[in-house]
Amino acid sequence: MASSSSPKYNSNSLESSSIKRTPKDGTKWEQNEEIPHLPGETSVTDKEVIYVCPFNGAVKGRLYVTNYRLYLRSVELDPVVILDVPLGVIARIEKMGGASSRGENSYGLDITCKDMRNLRFALKQEGHSRRDIFEILTKHAFPQSHNLPFFAFVNEEKFAENGWMVYNPMPEYRRQGLPNEQWRVTFINEHYGLCDTYPSLLVVPYNATDDDLKKVAAFRSRNRIPVLSWIHPENQAVVMRSSQPLVGMSGKRNKDDERYLDIIRDANGQISKLTIYDARPSVNAVANKATGGGYEGDDAYPNAELFFLDIHNIHVMRESLKKLKDIVYPNVEESHWLSSLESTHWLEHIKLVLTGAIQVADKVSSGKSSVLVHCSDGWDRTAQLTSLAMLMLDSYYRTIVGFEVLVQKEWISFGHKFASRIGHGDKNHADADRSPIFLQFVDCVWQMSKQFPTAFEFNEQFLITILDHLYSCRFGTFLYNCESVREKEKVTERTLSLWSLINSEKAKYTNPFYNKELNRALYPVASMRHLELWVNYYIRWNPRIRQQQPNPVEQRYMELLALRDDYMRRLEELQITNNSKISNSSTSSASPSQMMSHVQTHF
Amino acid sequence: MLSGSKTSFKIQQHPPGPALRGPKSSDMNSKRNRNGQAFPCIPGEHVLEEAARVRKIVRSRDGEGSILGTLYCTNLRVAFVPEPAPGDTVGAPRCSTCLHSEHDVALPCIGRLVAVNSFTKAKVLTANSTLKFIPEELVLYCRDFRVLRFRFRDSGLEPRACQVTLAIVQAQESSNASAGTWYDSGAIRNLENAWLSTEESLSPPTLLFERPCDWEKELRRLGAAGWRVSPVNERFDMATSLPKYLWVPSRLLDNELKRAFGHFNARRIPRLCWHHPGGSDLLRAAGFHADSDPEKEDVRSVEALMLAGHAQCVIVETAADLPSPAEIQLSYLKLRALCLPDSSVADEKWLSALEGTRWLEHVRACVRKASEVAALLAERSRSIVLQESDDRDLNCLLASLVQVLSDPHARTQSGFQSLLQKEWVVAGHPFLQRLNLLRDNDREESPVFLLFLDCVWQLLQQFPASFEFTETYLVALHDSSYIPFFSTFLFNCQWERDRRNQHRASNQIYAPVNGWRELPPLEILQKGGRLAKERGGPYLPTIWDWALRYTTQQRAQFRNPAYARGSGSTTVPNGKSAPLGGDKLEGALSGNRAVYLFAKGALSPQTHLFPWKNGSLSKKGWWRAQSSESLSEQDRSLRSKPSGCPQQPEGLLLPASAGPLIRLWRRCYLRGSQEVQRGLFASTLAELAEELDRLRKQLGD
Repeated sequence: MASSSSPKYNSNSLESSSIKRTPKDGTKWEQNEEIPHLPGETSVTDKEVIYVCPFNGAVKGRLYVTNYRLYLRSVELDPVVILDVPLGVIARIEKMGGASSRGENSYGLDITCKDMRNLRFALKQEGHSRRDIFEILTKHAFPQSHNLPFFAFVNEEKFAENGWMVYNPMPEYRRQGLPNEQWRVTFINEHYGLCDTYPSLLVVPYNATDDDLKKVAAFRSRNRIPVLSWIHPENQAVVMRSSQPLVGMSGKRNKDDERYLDIIRDANGQISKLTIYDARPSVNAVANKATGGGYEGDDAYPNAELFFLDIHNIHVMRESLKKLKDIVYPNVEESHWLSSLESTHWLEHIKLVLTGAIQVADKVSSGKSSVLVHCSDGWDRTAQLTSLAMLMLDSYYRTIVGFEVLVQKEWISFGHKFASRIGHGDKNHADADRSPIFLQFVDCVWQMSKQFPTAFEFNEQFLITILDHLYSCRFGTFLYNCESVREKEKVTERTLSLWSLINSEKAKYTNPFYNKELNRALYPVASMRHLELWVNYYIRWNPRIRQQQPNPVEQRYMELLALRDDYMRRLEELQITNNSKISNSSTSSASPSQMMSHVQTHF
Repeated sequence: MLSGSKTSFKIQQHPPGPALRGPKSSDMNSKRNRNGQAFPCIPGEHVLEEAARVRKIVRSRDGEGSILGTLYCTNLRVAFVPEPAPGDTVGAPRCSTCLHSEHDVALPCIGRLVAVNSFTKAKVLTANSTLKFIPEELVLYCRDFRVLRFRFRDSGLEPRACQVTLAIVQAQESSNASAGTWYDSGAIRNLENAWLSTEESLSPPTLLFERPCDWEKELRRLGAAGWRVSPVNERFDMATSLPKYLWVPSRLLDNELKRAFGHFNARRIPRLCWHHPGGSDLLRAAGFHADSDPEKEDVRSVEALMLAGHAQCVIVETAADLPSPAEIQLSYLKLRALCLPDSSVADEKWLSALEGTRWLEHVRACVRKASEVAALLAERSRSIVLQESDDRDLNCLLASLVQVLSDPHARTQSGFQSLLQKEWVVAGHPFLQRLNLLRDNDREESPVFLLFLDCVWQLLQQFPASFEFTETYLVALHDSSYIPFFSTFLFNCQWERDRRNQHRASNQIYAPVNGWRELPPLEILQKGGRLAKERGGPYLPTIWDWALRYTTQQRAQFRNPAYARGSGSTTVPNGKSAPLGGDKLEGALSGNRAVYLFAKGALSPQTHLFPWKNGSLSKKGWWRAQSSESLSEQDRSLRSKPSGCPQQPEGLLLPASAGPLIRLWRRCYLRGSQEVQRGLFASTLAELAEELDRLRKQLGD
């Protein structure tokens, strides 16, 4: 957020990393420009302001606004304070104080951000200076409310990699061994006729006809029928996802839906019941009957057993994160940190999501049973559960590209409503549809990576970068609610993918401790005793809370790796020269064979 | 703690019984079980009871498993020896020198014994318990947070189960009463000698600070000109709880020095702990003696000691921000109860329950205070005197923690061990009382030392490349404090350590009736002083003889592969760059000397160095009567320091102490819980380092 050249600030403000990162990020710094610009980024205005930093006090500076970012540079050069904030992270802009306000820095703008911070700028109480900057900021921070395009559509960056090529459903299903004798690929949704929030390509039981699917769709909320997400390579048990059945108050039944679930159960020759995980608390599931929803009852589905996973809805999660922000920003609650943290329930929700995903994964893996996961609409909690279970079960998703595929598949293509949940470019900050569901998922991934530090190819910076661009609107990746809209907006043609940025400099996002061999199922410990608050994300703006960056152990490891490569190269050279000298003198190798074999494995 | 005027000791005769007889032949030492497998007793140990084909329950991520083996109850410990797997000659390697393994627990370390049978309720066993059922399972809750579970075969019908269980109960109870009598020190010493001759001479030695040469050597390392080693307490006749040798200002002669002793509690005068390369000196002392009436000459001596040639002296009131030993104990008991697997706390209430133990709050207070003192030391040249009423608990903690922060040498294994010797062991931290290893007085128990280890672990978390040792090492040290085989933690001060080690030959031990007591100096002169010269070294091994308890592989895990030796080890703030603007400041204060009191994060100027007025000490705490107007400039400079800032003047670590960054030492405290924590990347890094070594050698060939 703020950065400076003096050692004091440099050493402890992560803020600086946001700017330092930018040039490496693919930003092309244009010569003779006062502030960094991305290709396609244009300046709109600039203005003298006072940045009221909650950590280092008031800083006089110049605020620049472009169509992509808000940028502040302090007037004083020692220390230079720099703020570099994509407009996309802005949730709300408020005027603070009035023309008659007294007191230092009491007149200006208050900006609430989506990434766990607020910004405050004080202005001079003269002319209509505030009105202008307020209007310009509002217009560009909320382009959707002002008939302006997202920056992603004017971004002209170029990357070595094309991130849109990362995910293609067909190769991904083929990787899973699909289609096979039990499962087929259907194009019934090619024009989003069956379900407008599902992807065009779906995998369904071989024994269910497209006609069957249409009948099932009529009985599932928003036509989101049970479809395959993942199949176990050995026991052929599957993870299915859907929305709730439309049971309603009268307890409606649908023979086609019942038969369809039985076909799913039968697909891997399973004798036991099909397991259905309803992500909601049972009370909520019952309450949903009033609005036409509900859950699979015992009578109608004798071959299925249903479990409720007690995960709360989007509103509860939003309030929980709000409470978390209250205790970490700007000041960290000191005297009762742990009980304050407990009272936000944030970690408890994380625990419930992880616990649910563990149950799903374990049922499929050791229970050898197919499962169906749903909540109400099947785009929030369901996405969390299926994607986390897949992350636990399939080591492919623990690679950088694999994780991108996972997000692209389970979240983006299956219609997690990113536009509604994040409110991209939308000024309605109080919209009840907003909720940090995806953030919660990434937090769960981080918890897993903490517990299995060698199992993931990506590092913490990868996760933080994803979250930063979840809001930034620099890439098309997270824009819009579903595939059909994205297709209409021609997102893949007109915008860049976040994965282009990441895959063009993978080294930066690679976990040096990653061990490919670890390809078994991983079950994290989902107990409050072992979960931790993700300090480096949630409290990253506070210079007093930061931990050593970059991680010195990681750095040391990288140094050693480089040293090893160097030794290996030199050894190889030595071997070549030795071999040419002592041509085939059979027992000359003085070094223990174990060492030699060890070395050779690397060549 | 030192209260109680009684000097009475109950002299116990050894009860006749197996414990007294001791080992007569090697046959006794290695009682054979039915499989012909010998239990490797250590000298002085013998098997009381055993049960074969017992399953030790082990839990891991992959669920519950068990190891088959034999359970032994000896006069020293409960031990479990796994049966070698068929065709596996290695089985469970149990080196004969190992006094400890993950399957063993020393009797005094057993906190609670529970017998379980599916037909009855679980029963907590005490010496008075009668066992009305044959247990199916025996659960040992250890004081070091481990939980050992043994399942007997034949589900509750195994008669040996009863015998071995009762034997453990009895042995544990009698070990409490007569612990310390069982060991054959000569044999253990031989063991130690054998080991010493084979290895370890390579690594830099741990300074024990028992002989003057160690003090000289360390003083040279610190480059503390103006300081000397004084043998004034060589016979412990100045203060029994102080070490034999003291670092004092060179220009202060022993005769002048002697004038100071009487004016401090337990005669524990200010003396040097550490010298900052920038010029500052860190001292520690007990509180001013309430009834002393110093003469002018005495005042001059005390003044010379405290100012140590500096123009500015900061007296740090150690207890002001830190928990008392009683609070630490209370907190530790709550923590242990919370971390046990059978804790009744619901998972959703875990965080507030953890907060309720106040353990992390205590850790935070210590870390914060130590970094404040470390900053004061680095800021400018001055003397800093840590003052605690008896100078034997939190002064040990604070003095050593400040050095860990300030001195890269203290972050090497040998440097750290030397530090513990200097500031804890010979400085007279009452380990026996505080750790209560022999369970003879629960009232004085307080794990001040374990709190210190936790603080060091926090630093290791925040600065993972700044320490030569690992978390594994700290856990080993934590566990060692519950093994009564070593001189390090068995005594309350060096004098006692020296003395007890000699009296072992007789069959008498002094069981303190009223907690730890000092004996009058006369007796020391008659016995201790003379005998001390005849002996070369300690009879019992010290805790630092790691090879006695840990295998080479285990010890390899003590070394931190991420340790960046270069960073900070040679670079320390030099005197020139240290802001020495203090000279201007002093002029404004009394004469050319300034005294400040540091408490609750603020420096307040004092008009007097001493609390005595008209010959008596104001009981309320002398400094409070003073104007506590804080020196705004000093105050600001301290507080404005970004405490989380990892890049410090080279060599100095200034840790963050905010709530989210003070964490629970899970690997230590949650060991008993069902979910096993994974060892983090240490092994990955170590493997790579090993591979590099191999490659380097190959390249060298």
